[in-house]
Amino acid sequence: MRGSGTIALSAVLVLGACGVAGAANPSPQVSVPGGDFRSVLAPAPGQDVVRVPGFRLDETPVTNAQFSAFVRAHPEWRRDRVTRLFADPEYLSHWSKADQADAVLADQPVTRVSWFAAGAYCEAQGRRLPTWYEWEYVAAASETARDARNDSAWTQRILAWYGKPATAGLPPVGKTPPNMYGARDLHGVVWEWVEDFNSILVSGDSREQGDPDVLRFCGTGALTMQDKDNYAILMRIAMLSSMEGRYTTTSMGFRCASDLKSAQP
Amino acid sequence: MNRLLIFGLASVLVLLSAACAPKQEAAAPVATTTGGSVRGDLGPPQGEPVQAILTSPPAVPPPTNRKQPAKVVVDLEVQEVTREIADGVNYTFWTFGGTVPGSFIRVRQGDTVEFHLKNNPSSKMPHNIDLHGVTGPGGGAASSFTAPGHASQFTFKALNQGIYVYHCATAPVGMHVANGMYGLILVEPPEGLPPVDHEYYVMQGDFYTVGKYREKGTQPFDMQRAIDERPTYVLFNGAESSMTGPKSLKAKVGETVRLFVGNGGPNLVSSFHVIGEIFDKVQPEGGTHPQENVQTTLIPAGGAAIVEFHLEVPGTYVLVDHSIFRAFNKGALAMLQVEGEPNKAIYSGKEVDETYLGGAQASMQPVVAAAAALAAGTLSKQQQIDAGSILYKGTCSVCHQESGEGLANVFPPLAGADFLKADLPRAIGIVLNGLTGPITVNGTAYDSVMPPMSQLNDDEIANILTYVTNSWGNSADAISSGQVKQAREATGRPLGAAR
Amino acid sequence: MRSFRALVALTLLLAVSGVKAAAPGDSIYQLDIALTSQGNRATKLDLYRGQPTLVTMFYGNCPNVCPMLIEQLKSAESLLDADQRVRLRVLLVSIDPDQDTPAALARIAREHNVDLERWTLARAEAADVRKLAAVLNVQYRRLPDGSYNHSTVITLLDREGRRVATTSRLGGADPEFQKAIRSALAK
Repeated sequence: MRGSGTIALSAVLVLGACGVAGAANPSPQVSVPGGDFRSVLAPAPGQDVVRVPGFRLDETPVTNAQFSAFVRAHPEWRRDRVTRLFADPEYLSHWSKADQADAVLADQPVTRVSWFAAGAYCEAQGRRLPTWYEWEYVAAASETARDARNDSAWTQRILAWYGKPATAGLPPVGKTPPNMYGARDLHGVVWEWVEDFNSILVSGDSREQGDPDVLRFCGTGALTMQDKDNYAILMRIAMLSSMEGRYTTTSMGFRCASDLKSAQP
Repeated sequence: MNRLLIFGLASVLVLLSAACAPKQEAAAPVATTTGGSVRGDLGPPQGEPVQAILTSPPAVPPPTNRKQPAKVVVDLEVQEVTREIADGVNYTFWTFGGTVPGSFIRVRQGDTVEFHLKNNPSSKMPHNIDLHGVTGPGGGAASSFTAPGHASQFTFKALNQGIYVYHCATAPVGMHVANGMYGLILVEPPEGLPPVDHEYYVMQGDFYTVGKYREKGTQPFDMQRAIDERPTYVLFNGAESSMTGPKSLKAKVGETVRLFVGNGGPNLVSSFHVIGEIFDKVQPEGGTHPQENVQTTLIPAGGAAIVEFHLEVPGTYVLVDHSIFRAFNKGALAMLQVEGEPNKAIYSGKEVDETYLGGAQASMQPVVAAAAALAAGTLSKQQQIDAGSILYKGTCSVCHQESGEGLANVFPPLAGADFLKADLPRAIGIVLNGLTGPITVNGTAYDSVMPPMSQLNDDEIANILTYVTNSWGNSADAISSGQVKQAREATGRPLGAAR
Repeated sequence: MRSFRALVALTLLLAVSGVKAAAPGDSIYQLDIALTSQGNRATKLDLYRGQPTLVTMFYGNCPNVCPMLIEQLKSAESLLDADQRVRLRVLLVSIDPDQDTPAALARIAREHNVDLERWTLARAEAADVRKLAAVLNVQYRRLPDGSYNHSTVITLLDREGRRVATTSRLGGADPEFQKAIRSALAK
């Protein structure tokens, strides 16, 4: 009797410890089956189809509440302790306390986080940031189609978000309808970090596409963006390519991904 | 004579003339070219760095009044703002300096410009800048790509004088430009521009919204319309009525006005014209050598021009894009109010206002009189007959002839016609609705087509019929327009007839 | 008494274990990643802390730029006086950890005849490579055929690992950058 009680108690303690060591319960993920995909960023000249292996993706972006729990568990990521190498001075500046977001922000996607901070959060969950191709692949889906990028009404809805300034408050996560994969809030809420944001070798001058400056990018030159009519994707690419790893901005948040084979649920 | 002396004198003369000749040329130098960028570098900056004065449209910064190249620091901030594009219509503009067009930058040829581009933290988008006055890759765009909440800096030397467009060049470029990210930078010639009384900053742009022209509410950008080049609005300075009414540009009689006119596009070329004025000087495309006496000047998308005109007469002068549906149906209209004493010798204003009735001026008098009498309630049968006689000619007389005798076997007569006399209401119906098919008039068969006289109104038909039934031996009571109206309402509208 | 001895022992232990003062907040040595050198030795990013260091990223099968990059580094060194050069360090980290094993790195070092007293060629795991690239503002992407597109940035670190200058120039001296190197070595 006593033995099983001890075992039960230990189990609870262990589980509780796991809960504390990570952030609040890791957020639910959706499974994204792999597939071939025509990307706006051609992986090689003349080849624009990418094979995206299956993976899991957080259903919604990480919230201020979730990130608060992470900062409390990992105080080196508090805005008053983080080194300037990993976050610029605006990091988490919208929180009134260094380790806790205001209650009104709790369910909103966390923004003003750098790539380093986002990556550290995902690592603490046993997860990672999604790659650009994974993100583009999932985000191409609408509620009813796997690839809605030729649907001008869908594109127009996305463009309408870009037209609104960032001063309006953010909605709580999970309010937009899920797309074909079950993921929400991929459009119209926040920009999101990707693991390989610095692999988007585009020139700061978007009209230089196709300029074969071999020395500049060692090899085939700056990326040529296919599908220049796809304004919605072009703007994501422009946004990510303007960032450095330590930058934070009011409209940039993130969510985590994980490999299908990983042990984490 | 001493040959040596002659030779010496001749040599002296030759030398003197050789010395004189170039001096003559030097006395009247004609600079035909500025030499472009090759000759544009006037040396290193002198003196203390200068903070550039930037102005919001329609104001222009004052002349630099510099005689030496300087280092000029430009601080420009990108802001994404939502404001009215037309009455009751909101649009989210992306702006340089908070305005559309963006702040006006003024430097002098040879200046070294240290350009600081800031992107307000509230911006959602990264932005950069391409200044057409920059010699260098992308006009600065690659070196100024800036994320929200950050700033970047690059330096260039202004080698070419002129008026240049600047705009954002971040992908997708068309959308950034369509949202208002353009402005002008003036690179003064080394000697400066000749002084004028007013300088103003005007920039045309085309805008693409999902909603129709003047459809109220917040309108998002419509990408497909932009690709199809079907703008909703074509505007000066980013808003309908940006320079009309109390916001009109101002000047006085006797003054000279200079307009720096840009065209940000993204798509349309402008046919820029000021109604009531002629451009005394135009620097077409913003180039160095002016043209004179121009009515309308073309400003390419991504281009600019400088126009100057002297004002002789007061009034409101309207700036338009003379692709005229843009001015009156899309908003490409602005105003310059000019005050001062009238000058009748130049422009008299309206001197005479009278009616003009075309070639048949005198003979239409009875028609006019009848109309007036009808309105006054005093219409007499004779007035109707007199009016009807005028109206009959040219309408009915074509077929039925001026004498009312018709054309044998083709068109029936009206003079003494038993068919007419037998049923006057039927006659009204025939004038209104036409008649086809066989009839017999005065014993002769006719089978012709009379079209409905849809162009005639009730009074006119009444007057014509009164005339017909009281001419050429016919006699009947006057027919009133009320009777015609009744007949019109009782009968169907013939196919194709207007009502 | 007992506690005092414990304290002394603890202090000695700490001293012996070589716990250094933390690097400044903007030093790249804040990034704690595991490196393996061309000599197959485990090391860290701050292996040259205490000396000004040139750090860059490259990969072994790079057809045109990376050989030039190594020559650029040697050329920057050769412009220094001997007594300055001996104090400068050079660290190259591969963006291709799969192909650039320690043996491959050793071969590259031999082929370019670099001074391994002062140079280290190293590899790190892919996720750490991405972090180092983010810190150094290097962009790179792997192509389907296993080669890489990447930008070229040589960063000069001061003794504490702070970035003081960068250059992207290949095939020709960068006078501003040279000046910065000399200045860092003079301090």
